[in-house]
This record gives sequence, structure tokens and C-alpha cells, in this order.
Amino acid sequence: MRPTRFAWRLAVTALIAAASASHAQTSSNDVARGRQLFSLGAPPLPACALCHKLQDAKATGAVGPDLDDLMPDAARVETALRNGMGPMPSFAALGDEQIRLLARYVAQAAGARKP
Amino acid sequence: MTPETFAPDPLRRALLAGSVSAIATAGAAPFATALAQGTAPRPLPAYAAFKDAGSMIVHSANTIETRRGAATAGALTTVSQLYVRNNLAPPPASIVAAPDDWTVGVEGVKRPRSFTVRELKAMGSQSLAMVLQCSGNGRGMFPSKPSGTPWQVGAAGCVMWTGVPVRDVVRALGGTLAGLPFMTGTGGEVLPEGINPKSRVERSVPAAAMADALLAWEINGQPIPLAHGGPLRLIVPGFTGVNSVKYLKRLAFTAQESDASIQQTDYRMTPAGEASMRPADPSVWQMPPKSWIALPLADTTGLRAGPVTVQGVAFCGVNAVRQVDVSTDGGATWQPARLVGPDLGRFAWRQFELTLQLPAGRHVLASRVTDAKGNVQVENRVENKGGYLNSSWRDHAVTLTVA
Repeated sequence: MRPTRFAWRLAVTALIAAASASHAQTSSNDVARGRQLFSLGAPPLPACALCHKLQDAKATGAVGPDLDDLMPDAARVETALRNGMGPMPSFAALGDEQIRLLARYVAQAAGARKP
Repeated sequence: MTPETFAPDPLRRALLAGSVSAIATAGAAPFATALAQGTAPRPLPAYAAFKDAGSMIVHSANTIETRRGAATAGALTTVSQLYVRNNLAPPPASIVAAPDDWTVGVEGVKRPRSFTVRELKAMGSQSLAMVLQCSGNGRGMFPSKPSGTPWQVGAAGCVMWTGVPVRDVVRALGGTLAGLPFMTGTGGEVLPEGINPKSRVERSVPAAAMADALLAWEINGQPIPLAHGGPLRLIVPGFTGVNSVKYLKRLAFTAQESDASIQQTDYRMTPAGEASMRPADPSVWQMPPKSWIALPLADTTGLRAGPVTVQGVAFCGVNAVRQVDVSTDGGATWQPARLVGPDLGRFAWRQFELTLQLPAGRHVLASRVTDAKGNVQVENRVENKGGYLNSSWRDHAVTLTVA
């Protein structure tokens, strides 16, 4: 039974991985745009990089959480951007598209596990 | 099982809820948080390197918890075992190299001015034992998994602060100006240029809290280390930790609450279903009555049928502890525990102890404190978006297996 069950689990895992990969695929263009938004901000809104560490963006901010360590998923980043979190004010002024772009980028760059 | 059925076992509830981090509720896994996050335990950050690593759970560089059972609930918590929570990264360590030179401005008084710590020390000093507890202590026990550090019981400790009473400083400056209902403390963290100034650490509390507050430079008889807010920290006894502002640069009596994000859109008792925290909801200020058992815990080995001594701590915010009761039957009946150890005043915790005769088997033990005004520790947590102020005795119950 055990090997069969193991094989089943492998197959299911592979299926889920494939499905979520195609679903959550972020185009290289989006990654570049997300990274740029992260590094430079959207004036007058300051850049994420001023406060946060994120290796992918060569960001070394040391004010707020280290994102490589925190590994937030996209939903968590989106919530933080929309509502603010702790001392971080809301970045809702970015607008929906840029918020989603940044959320996807940070989640991917920080290595968030799939929810 | 109907929703009304009492599910007494935190470990079982944690497993049912699929929450690995909640297993630490039952004291079963010191590294439960690390497991939950799928990572190896993190090292202590440099500014907290003096902590006793074996006693601590490092959630992140700015959130470090004391493991339940790491200390046997002494009257005071050692600085090396005290939790750390910083809302922003701490300022450079150089600020504690010459602590007496640190300056703080006092505003909203008849004669505003700034003081060095050296000058404050010359104005007199007082020591005060106080429970320092993070607003989110116990958040890890919310099945709703609110965003934020999943603290169990260890974002709390009882420590002795020494400093000058705020009321004495205010009196020396001619008193507060009229019509300023808030006392606002501003932290000295330096924000990079271009950052919204609302990101600063600044908290307002009702100005009446001044009566008990200190401007403190010592913790447990030593200069306050950077990790705990040295050279100077505003101490607001009976209030949650965030209100005791670290690296205090400015103390002001103000007409309004601070407009900082940390005051307006965080640390609010907003209902769980809301999209964001609302400035109109109650601010997280005073701590409600709370107690927990420190020993024995679910992972305590060698428990044999017969006498088992239960130890724990209890505190009630701004009020003194009157009584602690212990239940072995899920809250159907309660027996009074003895208050042991010194009474360090109404802001400190009291140690309690009770020797039970336990037969072999599984036992769910809960503790419940009553304060001097008759307020009783709540049975169930108050659900809220931020996962604040969890003082539920059910959530803090422990399950023991006696051989």
C-alpha cells in the first residue's frame, strides 16, 4: 500500500504544482516592472527598498521587516500595501494594478511558498 | 461535535485547526513557530545577542519571544529572557554608549524644554515593577490567524524600571497646558529621507496615565539596553508594551491622538471581519486581567499520580491581583490558589501556586485571575482583526498526562 500511496501523493503534488505554476505565472516583464516599482517607488510615494531588504532588488533597507526572511505571500503583501501595517502607512494611492504587481513580485522574489 | 461543546485540549484544537504554531500553546514544541514557517530556527539579531538563546523563540529580527516554561515564573523576568518587540529597527547602538547625553523634549507644559538623561537623573528616581506585555501576546492562539507575530504567552515579562516620575517632571515645568487630554511619546528611530513621517513610532495614551508613568533609564538595576529602549524609555504601567515608547525623544501633552500610522490604523480593537483597522475603534491601551500556568506543561516529563504543584503568574493591568483560581475540569469548578512570592505592587504580576492531587490520566488545567475591583479574566478571547489582548483562560489552559 505504502509505495502506491506515495506514488499517488507524488502525482497529486506534481499536478498541483503544475496548476499553480501556470496560474501564478508572472511574466518576466512583470517581474522587471515590479522590481523597478520596489526599487524606485512611484513618486511621491517612497520606494519599498528604503525600508525593506530584498535580495532580488538589491534592496538593503533596514527599517521594516527583511522580506527575504519574512517570505510573505502575495495576499499578505497586498493587505499591507492597501491597509498599512504597524508603522507602515497605507500605499493604497498606488492603485490596484500597481499594488497587485508589487504583491506578486515581492511574493515571488522573497520565495513565498504557495498558499 | 456541536460548536457549543467544550473542546478542552489546546493541542487537539490546534491539530483540528491545522495550526502547527498553536501547538506551542500546549507547550509541546519549542520550535513550533519555526516549523510552522518551514524554516530552521533563526539566530538572535546582533542587538539582542545577549539573550539566552535556549529560552527564546526568534520569530524575526524584531520579534523575539520567551518560550513558555523557559522560566519558572519568577517574580521578575531576567533581561536575558525578556521578550523583544520593535516596531521599527532599533537606532544605532552608539546611542546607548553615552546614555546620559541622550536628550528628550517635553512639550504641552507651561515651560517646555529639553532634558538630558543626566539632568533627569538629578530630578529624583523611583523604581516600579511592571508587567511588560506586547499587545499581540496570545495572537498565536486565535484560530482566525490574524496577521502579525503568532506569539503564545512569551511576549510578556515582569521587570523593574527605574526613572523619574513623569508627574514630577511636569510639575517642575509648571504643569500641563489646559485642554490637552493625551500624553504622546515619540521614539528616536531614524527614518530614511523620503519616508512618510507617519511611519514614526509615536503613541498617545490618556494624559491621566501620567500619574503612574516614568521616564526610565534602568531595567532590573542595569542601564536599559538598546533592545529594550535605552537610553530612555517612557514607561506607562498597566498598558501594553507598544505604549511604553522606546528611545524616547519627545514627550508631549497633546490635543489629539498622534496621526502616526501605529496610532491610527494599527493597535485598534477592530472587529475581525473588517478590511482594515479603523481609527474610530478603541485603541489598545490597558491590559485586561490575565494569568497562565507556567509549570507543569504538556511536555513536562515524569508526572506521577499524586501531588502535582501548579505554578503560574497573574496580572491585571492597572489593578492589583485579588485572587487566582485553578480548574481541573474545564472551568466547571475552581479552587483558590495561593499567592506566593513578593507583592511588587499593582502593576507587577503575582506568582501563584496550588498543589493538586491528580490521579493518573489526562487533565486540563486552567487558571483564572480576579482583580481588586472584581474584574475576572475572560473565558473567551475577544475576536479582533489584529489578534490583540488575548486573555482567554480557555486558550491558555494546559493539558497534562499523569502516569
